[in-house]
Amino acid sequence: MLRFLAEARAVLVKDLLGELRTRVAVSTLGLFAITILVAVAYAVGPFRISAEDRPLVLATLLWIVLLFAALAGLDRSFVKEEEARTASLLRLAARPLAVWAGKLVLNLVLTYLLMALIVPLFCVLMAYRVTSVPKLVLLLGIGGYALAVVTTMVAAMISRAMTRGALFSVLALPLLLPLLIFLIQGTAAVAGGDVRALIPAVRALISLGGAMTVASALLFPAVWE
Amino acid sequence: MSPGTTVLGQAARWLLLVWMCVVIWAAFFVVHPAEGFKGQASRIVFFHVPTAWVATLAFLVSCVASVLYLTRRRKVDDIRASVSAALGLAFAIMATVTGSIFAKIEWNSFWNWDPRETSITILLLMYAAYFALRGSIADPELRGTLSAAYAILAFIAVPFLVFVVPRIYWSLHPDVIGQTRSGGGGFDAAHTLVLLASLAGFTGIFAWIFSVECRLEHLLRRRQEELLR
Repeated sequence: MLRFLAEARAVLVKDLLGELRTRVAVSTLGLFAITILVAVAYAVGPFRISAEDRPLVLATLLWIVLLFAALAGLDRSFVKEEEARTASLLRLAARPLAVWAGKLVLNLVLTYLLMALIVPLFCVLMAYRVTSVPKLVLLLGIGGYALAVVTTMVAAMISRAMTRGALFSVLALPLLLPLLIFLIQGTAAVAGGDVRALIPAVRALISLGGAMTVASALLFPAVWE
Repeated sequence: MSPGTTVLGQAARWLLLVWMCVVIWAAFFVVHPAEGFKGQASRIVFFHVPTAWVATLAFLVSCVASVLYLTRRRKVDDIRASVSAALGLAFAIMATVTGSIFAKIEWNSFWNWDPRETSITILLLMYAAYFALRGSIADPELRGTLSAAYAILAFIAVPFLVFVVPRIYWSLHPDVIGQTRSGGGGFDAAHTLVLLASLAGFTGIFAWIFSVECRLEHLLRRRQEELLR
């Protein structure tokens, strides 16, 4: 167990140091998200949506911005290993599950950084008032985790295919759509102050995210080796 | 001798043909339109529900075959997984089309973004993506492995899309079997009998096409391998 943790930590530290040196994923995710956010804020604006529709429409826009930005950069974790031809070395250096755990935590860090940048900006630019900030943070935490689990697994798959760029979105989006439904409904419930509608969304997110985690951990060795 | 050419196999195919003819005859000429539905709209339920059921069954078979491929690494399991996913996709399209016709009659619109309509759209996208993945990998073993992993991940979302989403969000979609059990309006015993017979018939059609397609795919791959040698 200790060896597994040490290997996973080594993979994470290697990727974080690489990211700090190049800042490819961070800048891709951040710039992509800000560009979409500016486009959305300019086209829709904070006051063009009726008060009744605001919770649901703005929740949808927020998750679209986050999802598209995530899809623009989260495939880097595995694709860069294949491009730099370091994947074989990584296979020798660490057991598959440790690689999966290290890459998952890296994607989790990137997703949470993206959320920390975009969600406050979105609330300011779109005048999005949330009745309960802790509940929104809880939802973002669960949603970000589920997003990272799915994208990590799909990134591992597409890194071994021929057409990587377009394939990541094609494969990841349908798997993320059920999550997106629950996340949008949950965020709208938080914004609208309807806590009762939040509970089924959180339950569904935890169960779907949990199921995806278990399946990814079991399937990753077959995909990676 | 393959199962399709045995006497038993031929008898089963004839039985399936007669069974489906009886189901179609009963659906259109024996039972009256169910209460709570506009005009003759309830009759399409005898074909819409079985196609949706077969699509779910096909995705389950694809998932099981994918698990078997990852554990046994036998080519036949990859063939079964891909054939079943293709059939699931075809039956899901049929369920979408029949559902849309029903929606037009009942709610005056072919598409309403109802939770069930949204769910089936996502399912269609998932299994279309599965074939996009298969098409992007040249190596058969790697293709089998990655598509098996994707099929398993996709199937994990199926229960959430089929059972969870329509139950936690308000839906226009009627639940005919549920209504019958609760004794409410809609389907009576005769309707339920025809529906169950149709479900059995469509399951038989799926089993038959599945076995034919698997044999065909096996022959095609063998021919490809011979050409490459």
